Amino acid sequence: MTKPYEVLSIDDLDRIPVAEGLEWRPIRRRLGIRSFGTNAYTSERVGGWVVEEHVEGSGHEELYVVVSGRARFTLDGEELDAPAGTIVFLPEHDVSRKAVSEEEGTTVLALGGWPDKPFAPSAWEWYFEAYAHEPERGVEIMREGIAELGERPWLLYHLACQEALAGRRDDAREHLRRAIELDPALAERARDDDDLEGVEP
Amino acid sequence: MSRWASARVAEIERRDEWIPIRDHFGVRAFGINAFRGDEPGDRVISEHREGWRGHEELYVVLEGHATFTIEGDEVDAPARTIVYVREPGALRGAVAKEAGTVVLAVGGEPGATFEPEDFEVIWPYANPALAHYRAGRYAEAAQTLREGLEAYPDSAGLRYDLACFSCLAGDRESALTQLREAIRREPRFRETARKDKDFAALRNDPEFAAAIA
Repeated sequence: MTKPYEVLSIDDLDRIPVAEGLEWRPIRRRLGIRSFGTNAYTSERVGGWVVEEHVEGSGHEELYVVVSGRARFTLDGEELDAPAGTIVFLPEHDVSRKAVSEEEGTTVLALGGWPDKPFAPSAWEWYFEAYAHEPERGVEIMREGIAELGERPWLLYHLACQEALAGRRDDAREHLRRAIELDPALAERARDDDDLEGVEP
Repeated sequence: MSRWASARVAEIERRDEWIPIRDHFGVRAFGINAFRGDEPGDRVISEHREGWRGHEELYVVLEGHATFTIEGDEVDAPARTIVYVREPGALRGAVAKEAGTVVLAVGGEPGATFEPEDFEVIWPYANPALAHYRAGRYAEAAQTLREGLEAYPDSAGLRYDLACFSCLAGDRESALTQLREAIRREPRFRETARKDKDFAALRNDPEFAAAIA
């Protein structure tokens, strides 16, 4: 029988390189959490990102906890020194935010959700992970995302990319066509995307 | 007004072992609190289940070292341990193994919009009322909660505690009225009242028996 709980260490979490030294450490997807979003981010080098520069396009309110090391946040242009044990809360989704590591091995835990509706996972959790694997595994991951979240344009788009990288051009064409049907703006992105070279929708 | 806020965990005003992060920042999308055990053996997560409100819970040991007990299993949890309790009905709790152990707790109900819990909202009244209660000043404890009831008339937890304190203060009518109201709003209080020693004076009262039947 499955246990009603799971135990792991932050040190056991996968490390998926994203950009500027930032490693994504998936928690929500690994554990199957369904009521809020949560992931950790680590940079092993000083000056690397521990929160990538972004506004929260999903509309989430977000809370960051510096678990270890020391980070320097930049929030709407204002700097904040954040040693381990610091909590940063951003109720407004459009605050521009970024954090860099001030010490090697800095890890930040991020939590997010909507105040006015139930949580639903974001498509990026699947496509961030897909690109960290060989394309065949990437295709599987994107299919898992579609099985869980349904046909979303970005999931279909990145499925097409993974299929193209795996040499499955017919499948890529079909899924790109469907992605553009659901979100016509993706046609322009597809034209400049090297992953989709030779794949005409 | 600033569009963001920050604080170190150690700076947030504590309520006994409880560090009320959600309330401090006004987080609305999920429940989040931390708990600190000052000494080895201090409780950092009270023994409880989340079944009545359906929360899944994630615990992260931020500092120190804790021992969790989940459905009878003992789990060693040094700093950086993540414990995810997927089943709301699982009995869980944790004690500090080292001085200064801090455990973060995050929770929510899958498929539901988050709502803060009663105990967080009524704390400004519950805290002084509990101080009276611990000192045996039951009438004063009840009076404090009556004032709270004017601010939070829909709080089932506040009514339940008022029922307890009223009973201890010898106010049978108030105890029965508030207990019935608490159970009407939160049926789980029926089971709680059956075992609650605060109602010892009403144990053989037919109206009490009817209220918890």
